[in-house]
Amino acid sequence: MAIDRRKLLLYAAAAALRFLLFLAFPRLPDLLTGRAEISTPVTSFKRLQEGLFLYTHNVSPYDGGVFYQAPLLLPLFALVPPFIFPLATAVLYIFTDLVCAESLIQIAESGVARTSRLFSSPRKDNHWDSLAVGAAFLFNPFTIATCLARPTSVFSNGAILYAIANAVDRKPAKSMLALALAAYLSLYPALLLPPLILLCHDQIVAKDGSKPKLPRSSFELSSIFCGSVAWFLAMSYLLTGQSWEFLRSTYGVHLLLPDLTPNVGLWWYFFIEMFDSFREFFLGVFWLHLMGYVGGLCFRLRTQPLFVLTTIIGILAIFQPYPSIADASLYFALLPLYNHVFSLMRYTFFAMATILYAALLGPAFYYLWIYAGSGNANFFYAITLVWSLGLSIIVGECLFAVLRDEWEVERPEMKGKEVRRI
Amino acid sequence: MTIEAPTILALRKDPRLLKIPPYLSALCIVIGIVWLFLLPLNEYSRHTYISENALLPGQVHTYFGGSEQNVFNAYKHEVQSLLGKDPEVIAAQLSNILRSVGLKAATQKYHYEAAGNVHSGENAYAVLHAPRGDATEAIVLVAAWTNMDGEPNQSGVALALTLARYFKRWSLWSKDIIVLITSDSKAGPQAWVDAYHDEHSPDSADPLQLKSGALQGVVVVDNALDHRFESLHIVYDGINGQLPNLDLFNSAVAIASGQMGIGVSLQRMWKHGDSYRERLQTMLRGMVSQGLGHASGPHSSFIPYHVDAITLQAVGHGWQDEMAMGRCVESTFRSLNNLLEHFHQSFFFYLLMQANRFVSIGTYLPSAMLVAVNFTIMAIALWIQSGRPPKRRAGSATVDMKESEVEVVRKEGMVALVPTADLAIVERQLFLPVALVVAFHFLGAVPLYVFNNTQQEALAQTLVFFAYANIVLPTLLAIIISGFTTLSSHRLILLQCFSLLLLGMFLATLATLNFSLAFLIGLLAAPLSFVGIAMSADNGDAPPELGTLRKIVSNVLLHLLSPPVVVLAVCKIFGADTGATLAEAAFGWKVSGLRTQVVVCCVWWPAWLIGAVIVSPGL
Repeated sequence: MAIDRRKLLLYAAAAALRFLLFLAFPRLPDLLTGRAEISTPVTSFKRLQEGLFLYTHNVSPYDGGVFYQAPLLLPLFALVPPFIFPLATAVLYIFTDLVCAESLIQIAESGVARTSRLFSSPRKDNHWDSLAVGAAFLFNPFTIATCLARPTSVFSNGAILYAIANAVDRKPAKSMLALALAAYLSLYPALLLPPLILLCHDQIVAKDGSKPKLPRSSFELSSIFCGSVAWFLAMSYLLTGQSWEFLRSTYGVHLLLPDLTPNVGLWWYFFIEMFDSFREFFLGVFWLHLMGYVGGLCFRLRTQPLFVLTTIIGILAIFQPYPSIADASLYFALLPLYNHVFSLMRYTFFAMATILYAALLGPAFYYLWIYAGSGNANFFYAITLVWSLGLSIIVGECLFAVLRDEWEVERPEMKGKEVRRI
Repeated sequence: MTIEAPTILALRKDPRLLKIPPYLSALCIVIGIVWLFLLPLNEYSRHTYISENALLPGQVHTYFGGSEQNVFNAYKHEVQSLLGKDPEVIAAQLSNILRSVGLKAATQKYHYEAAGNVHSGENAYAVLHAPRGDATEAIVLVAAWTNMDGEPNQSGVALALTLARYFKRWSLWSKDIIVLITSDSKAGPQAWVDAYHDEHSPDSADPLQLKSGALQGVVVVDNALDHRFESLHIVYDGINGQLPNLDLFNSAVAIASGQMGIGVSLQRMWKHGDSYRERLQTMLRGMVSQGLGHASGPHSSFIPYHVDAITLQAVGHGWQDEMAMGRCVESTFRSLNNLLEHFHQSFFFYLLMQANRFVSIGTYLPSAMLVAVNFTIMAIALWIQSGRPPKRRAGSATVDMKESEVEVVRKEGMVALVPTADLAIVERQLFLPVALVVAFHFLGAVPLYVFNNTQQEALAQTLVFFAYANIVLPTLLAIIISGFTTLSSHRLILLQCFSLLLLGMFLATLATLNFSLAFLIGLLAAPLSFVGIAMSADNGDAPPELGTLRKIVSNVLLHLLSPPVVVLAVCKIFGADTGATLAEAAFGWKVSGLRTQVVVCCVWWPAWLIGAVIVSPGL
């Protein structure tokens, strides 16, 4: 029971901090909601409210060309309209954050990050307490800022973490359902399907003596996933007056990038500058690039599917069409699970310093560009490049550390020797 | 490459490598300062030029003069008869005059309280609708009833009224002209411009009844003299060190000196012989003014709204009359009238060292960045140091057997021997240092709140008290923290590392917003890089040891450069009253959105406090 009390204390503290910020600084949430770093066109709370207004007035929410989010969010928020019950909305978001933390703690407690079915790290004894992993997520300033700004990416993050937690917990059906929800809400989590199937499969095989074949279980699991997605889409179809119009305004926006509002990602500036005739080609290239990582990582790191998930989430936080710090905070939430390989990373401090620099300079340059008028778009884009560089160094470093950890199992005599990455 | 790589990798483990960063960061500071002192040279500064061709400064003939002199004299008489009256009476009379000219006029009341002082008054203003425009853009002519020095701006107000009457007769305006007479030079313009953009709080300022389009440019006339003047003093600093577009300043200079033959001075440099020394002095004065970020004139309030504004102040005894000043304003307005789009060409970040010589951000920014980088270099050095296994004491009783120890690694029948020294990785204890750094920075909210909410009479004593408190506070905090947990040298190194990292980051960010403030704070905080145990031996979990002399010197240096001591010293040197200075800062905080205090209380002070705790005798 002692552990439960500690966990309860952690949740209470995190929830209290968020409530305090919501109540003591009533202008802060709206200020953060307007920040380009947190609210992207596909997750913005402001746009959600716009869509909600149209929805409650019996106008198609996708008519205005402002709302690009999934239709099922509308009835949910229609129950607690943010403009009438701002506190109820806050409770919803805080609760989602706590669900994320609970899932994370569950993942950490299972120890899958260190010992999976096919691999056991030589450094497995050196790890953080699972509560510390939860605390690192709950008290990460990025997470708190995201929670206050209330973008809908909070829900897809929650769904992803819940899916992983269930996969670790050997509940593949629930896991697939949660991932389907995440993919339904923001499309890109669909890329997490292959490693999640591997994770589910490994977990089941590790437990049961009966050995289901991988093709068979992946077929089963992907059918559950597809079925759930189809079900969500059918619900949406019924909800939006039996029309498929919403597909164009939700997934079409993800895929075709019509809205070039600045964000922390790499796409918007590139597609502003591009000649229209090359647009389709480069859209294809960018999406192909994004999808290319999945197969390679699944093959190379077959023994550690959870790490494949973590790395893909990190890559998505850099290269997806509309990234925000919410996606980075999801990656930073999963990183502490790999505390045991941190000692193998070489440029952690530099990468973290780069990210902190970018986090400070980003708003300053955005201010100079948009408000003071003395800067221009290049200022902000330059700093988003630095931000992406910092994140990609961390992703690369973490990958290096895990591979090195694996290598030392195969070649114990190389322990402690210098190696070069080529 | 393949040959070099092992050498570089071997160098990484070299203990001598850790000796370099302090010298490197000292070098950064020195280069930063030398860089700044090179700027006034011809090779590094540039001649100003007009970048926006639409402005065409000084290309039109000015007609203000002749019989307008009589109108001016009459208005001046009116103004003088109003001196000493209530603001309401003055505003009513001024709006009557503006109405009689044929303009739409209105008034606006405002009432601010800061540091126990009340700033209230009433603005009078009128809108001249552009005969050739569509009321989407406007330019503003401002005259404050009392100028920045508190003197009645009688000629300035009379000139503004005369110009309003004169402008009304012309049909060539394509932008609306707003004539604004404010009660004072700080609160009045702020109340007006806030209300113009609907950003005012209803308790302190009335909404505006009349409005026009987006403001494109503002010229403030300030002539408190009752005689002919010698030259025009152009004031251009905005709140928080933001500057107006250099094109506006250049146009005013080109018109005044080129077209009208009136001398131009800036930053209170009345005599400017264009020598290196005078250029440097002008630049440094500009930097101090920018660094303080306070309102330097009625124009300052407009600049945060992205409205470019300058003040033209008549100074000295000479043979220029008010008509010449009026012609300057007329010609400047004709140039502003030509603008096709908002000021955007030219520079927003510059340092002026003479009316027609400047350096742009690309040339001067490296100096502040170098000063900021020195902190980051030390942070990196401290981080590397914190990850090294502690040195064993020479001559200690335990005989060192571990040097030759190896770990035996076995796998699948193979055996490998690896020296343990290579495997030793110090697990960094990050939690306490990070928590302390964050806590110290939040502690900065306390002085911030106190200094912005104290009555003026008590402010000076509060500062002195704060200065004394700062002498004992580091020791006290060190004792309190050591009471709860051990502050091993490992933790202290990490504490200093994060503090310096954060300081460097804040200053680098600040340098892009307010170069001068970042540079000045960076210099004042520079000793923080060199105090502490950075360069002395790391004793692991044992309490840190520091040479006595080193400790004393560090302590004295830090306490001489503590934020309150610096504020007191600066007030003393410039002969300013401490209470009044702090009251003005509090006014700026509450009314004009001045944010220098945040930098002092939440960036500089916490960094200083951490530095002082590290070397305090309490450890």
